[in-house]
Amino acid sequence: MSTTTTTFLPSLRALTTRLFSRPSPPSQCRPLTTTPTQLALSKSSIAKLGPGSKPAKGSSGNKNQPTRRSKRKGEVARDPRMINLLRHFAVLSPQRIPAPLRMARNRYLRHWTIHRAWLLFRRQQREAREKTWMRQYQSMNRACEELRLTSGPGTREEGYLFRMAMEKKGVYGLKGVPIEYARAQTETPPRVPWDHEWKRD
Amino acid sequence: MASVRALSRPTRGLPLSQISRQTTSACSRRWASSQAAAAEVPLEDLEDSALGAPPLSEEEKKTFRPWKRQADRKFALPSGRYNYHAPKYDRGPLHPVQPLPSSEPTARDFVPGPFNLPRLRQTYLSTVASDLMTLTYNHIPPGTPKKPTPQRLRQWDGSSPYHENRSLRAPRGAPVLPLLERDINFTNIPEIKEITLAAYVPAALQDMDNLLVARAALLAITGVLPEMTKTKTNVQQWKIRAGEFAGCKATVRGNEAYEFFDRCVNLVFPRIKDWKGIEATTGDSSGNLAWGFTPEELKLFPEMEVNMGMYPPKMVPGCRVYVKTTATSDRQARLLLQSLGLPFFGEVKN
Repeated sequence: MSTTTTTFLPSLRALTTRLFSRPSPPSQCRPLTTTPTQLALSKSSIAKLGPGSKPAKGSSGNKNQPTRRSKRKGEVARDPRMINLLRHFAVLSPQRIPAPLRMARNRYLRHWTIHRAWLLFRRQQREAREKTWMRQYQSMNRACEELRLTSGPGTREEGYLFRMAMEKKGVYGLKGVPIEYARAQTETPPRVPWDHEWKRD
Repeated sequence: MASVRALSRPTRGLPLSQISRQTTSACSRRWASSQAAAAEVPLEDLEDSALGAPPLSEEEKKTFRPWKRQADRKFALPSGRYNYHAPKYDRGPLHPVQPLPSSEPTARDFVPGPFNLPRLRQTYLSTVASDLMTLTYNHIPPGTPKKPTPQRLRQWDGSSPYHENRSLRAPRGAPVLPLLERDINFTNIPEIKEITLAAYVPAALQDMDNLLVARAALLAITGVLPEMTKTKTNVQQWKIRAGEFAGCKATVRGNEAYEFFDRCVNLVFPRIKDWKGIEATTGDSSGNLAWGFTPEELKLFPEMEVNMGMYPPKMVPGCRVYVKTTATSDRQARLLLQSLGLPFFGEVKN
């Protein structure tokens, strides 16, 4: 117990020093208001954006542009769609990621149990799949070995059928897989699997 | 029945762990084979509510002392109240405070699990994977000597004594060694690993709004927050300086990658006019294929289409799409994507 506290202490100290030494930014620390965060955010972001869309440097478009109510001559108003997009990204910024979930012992144990069960289930499914593939591969291997040692139909020499089976003519070509094959499986497949008569109008 | 249920009651006072207590209470379940005769007799027990606890005897009351268990416990249980906060910053692998793994529900980057199985992935797992394995099966008779792997790095000629113990040189002209093709067997059936969308927006050097629109478009299409990319070189004619933001990229992995591919194949490509397919010469000869979308084609994505009013239409960028597969050669990757519904055209190279 004591070792853990000593190891945790430096980080706590760092936290407190950071908390007290650094002046908090005004946008982060709002005074007690009844305005929802979302509204406050949108107002401040609009104020920050301002008119004009010229500058090219850095990701944060125009920070040096002064906020003006009235349009001057030659100054173009900011596209409202741009303001909308900026607000969209402001909401997604890392500062707005919600706090992590908090769980006490029993609730955490429930989650942990379900999580382990889910992992176990996925593992069983995956292993069953891999087992199937392995069995298929091994039976292909056995069949080909059998073919290799068989003398073919009629007067054919040994291994004729094996050579025919190993021919891979056009497998890697552009027509290797017919387009009708590539049809994703659905819960409700159509009655006609592929409409060959279809034409673009 | 009440007596059977009461069996586990005195054991609760004993200092047992929670797990073993659960097993004891589970043992008090009614076993049909051993209690078939006993179950016929006490019909009056039918009146009992299942929720009512059986009364405690005096002896049980004496043995039930939870405070004693609490006092005798050598290690304190974690408190019932919340007292742990996931650390906000990753301070490196050597710091004592480490971020939780993302599978923990209390971690900051926890994302609740997959809620669906994409139909393309379902198709792949149930049908396509074993078909690919069968289609490309290459039988090697037992006892065949293994082919030696060719040395593809350039050797030093040994003209200088300093060549001793020097590492080998990279191949001429190519900084990257392409993968050697392996035969497909049941352990390495090719599948889609991840898909990266990348947009280069040189107009962002003049007007940052272009980059903003590009980021928003990629975000809408992939559902992943795009990362901004910088220019690498100075080119006078193109008015490019190194180190300026002029593009963005977004990567989707796993299920999302399959869903994105499904959307491309079934919703976007069929709507492109006079579309012939993907050029068959694509690929980096290591199993990664790529194609591009023009701005007009990017607008065909349903996520863009429903919300086109959000973007200035002239600023919508085109993008490149890189499909990274676990295939070890281009032809294997092409076979995989063909079987998932992507047609190719033109000349086949490797």
